[in-house]
Amino acid sequence: MPVTRLLYPLYQLGNPQLRIFRPNWFLTLVRPGKEQPLDTAQFRIPMEMTKCDVKNYLEKIYNVPVGAVRTRIQFGSNKKRNHLNQKVKQPDYKVAYVQLAQGQTFTFPDIIPDKERAPTEGSMEEMQEKFMKDEKQRQKLDPRRGGVTEWFGL
Amino acid sequence: MAACTRLPLLFPKSLPAFRNKKLVHTEAAVSETAYPANVASLTAKSKSARRRQVEEQVKKITASTVQEKLSLLTRIQHKKFVIHPQTFARNADKWYQHFTKTAFVPGLPDRFTLTPEETGGEDSSGSAAGQTSVPGIGDDVFADIRTLVTRVILQEHWHLKKRRPFLYRKQEQLVGPVLRSLASGLTYSLVKYNPLLLLCSLDIDPKVHFYWRRGERIIPKGHRKGRLEPTRFQIDDQPNSQIRITQQLPQFVPLEASYTAEVPEITLAPNVMPLFRRQYDNNIFTGSKLPDPACYGHTQFHLVPDRYHRDRMARQKQSDQVEVFLRANGLASLFAWTGAQAMYQGFWNNEDVTRPFVSQAVITDGQFFSFFCYQLNTLALSVEADANNPRKNLLWGTESLRLYESVQDGEVVGLNDGVIKLLIQFLMNQP
Repeated sequence: MPVTRLLYPLYQLGNPQLRIFRPNWFLTLVRPGKEQPLDTAQFRIPMEMTKCDVKNYLEKIYNVPVGAVRTRIQFGSNKKRNHLNQKVKQPDYKVAYVQLAQGQTFTFPDIIPDKERAPTEGSMEEMQEKFMKDEKQRQKLDPRRGGVTEWFGL
Repeated sequence: MAACTRLPLLFPKSLPAFRNKKLVHTEAAVSETAYPANVASLTAKSKSARRRQVEEQVKKITASTVQEKLSLLTRIQHKKFVIHPQTFARNADKWYQHFTKTAFVPGLPDRFTLTPEETGGEDSSGSAAGQTSVPGIGDDVFADIRTLVTRVILQEHWHLKKRRPFLYRKQEQLVGPVLRSLASGLTYSLVKYNPLLLLCSLDIDPKVHFYWRRGERIIPKGHRKGRLEPTRFQIDDQPNSQIRITQQLPQFVPLEASYTAEVPEITLAPNVMPLFRRQYDNNIFTGSKLPDPACYGHTQFHLVPDRYHRDRMARQKQSDQVEVFLRANGLASLFAWTGAQAMYQGFWNNEDVTRPFVSQAVITDGQFFSFFCYQLNTLALSVEADANNPRKNLLWGTESLRLYESVQDGEVVGLNDGVIKLLIQFLMNQP
């Protein structure tokens, strides 16, 4: 049953349709672990949903043209143990691979970009980094010696 | 002391040549006393030993008869991807093109004329109705064939009383017999004009199998983790009917012309398509066993099942996948057939085909006909053999053409002459 149990007034032909369906299901769009084709999007869906439900959900609520849906259930591991040596179960979840129709493509966006490690001018970090670099430079031997140590020679 | 030695007092700068006569004539002999060649071991646990084992196996296969070659190549079972020519997967034609190294060319080769009266059935002038641009066929023969086609369609759709078909059995009940009788009727009528058809073999519901390797992957997990494994494929196909002949059809296009063709490259793993792996007997079969003289293929006829019928696809809003399905079907079936024909002649992965193998196919769902021509230029699809292989296989294909509008009151309405002409041209193809 898609919706939690509600009682509606009896419908007779010609009555206005009073029901508003708001499904209690929520899809999570995830980044695929293994590389998927360009027209495929990967979702984590509630266990009770089926392929047809996913198709209708995306088409009716989000106006996404759906070509094909394939689902699988991922077993959450029951192997780890806590400090009391009890087995700790990770929850199972259902994954849906949705292939989009009409030649549309989708790639999971890069939400967290890499931070540029350039310290600001005049700050403590910059002075510290410069100091460390100079120290390391002084530790290194003369490159003209070709790796030979300074124990020998004058 | 110097006087005790045998050397002369005046020590010459260079000793006289040919001093030691033993060495003169025996130089040639030394190279003839053959020491065994310096090759890598065969049984050591090393990469060079493995390489030598592979080379020995290749030499053994090259030196054996065709029957032994087939059994040696298909002996060991491994997990392989099973390719179904009629598949529900989306964009299957691009994937299949990559697996079989085939380039798709829209339209048909120059040999088959696609006149512009395809779309209109009874077009304008009397010249159109009487004109047949099929070489070697007179107007009366064309008229006979036209009546044959109408008769065949009417027999199943109008005259015969059939019970209501079961779920998803409509095509099998209605269109299957039509296609079978069409194939046999056309073959028998054109025997006079195509001598190949005199000695041909018309198979009903034949099986066609092919097994090949293409591409590699690194095994991610298991006791063989980290090693390279070739991806293996198997096609098991069952066309509605096929015609096998004793001579080979001539090539459509020379081998070199395929060098410039484009094959879509897909870097993803095949199981994402979705494609599934199984392990069972590797079969290579054209439709009859090896000693059969009719070992070359002519035409295959395929039926579109209910599941992929265009009305059902339209209901599911997937009308764009209809053409994709037909192309994938033609590609896979024809590749399997031509590949099996080539293997029956002794060509395999390391011994590439010296002449192109050619076959044709007609795929229909009763009303719409699509025509495909395939030219197999290369069998060398595995990673080592494909490294410097510029050849590509070619597939020509048409869009689906409507044969007739409907059947009403014992009459076939809107019969398209162009499609019948193409059918005749296909069956008249001879060297």
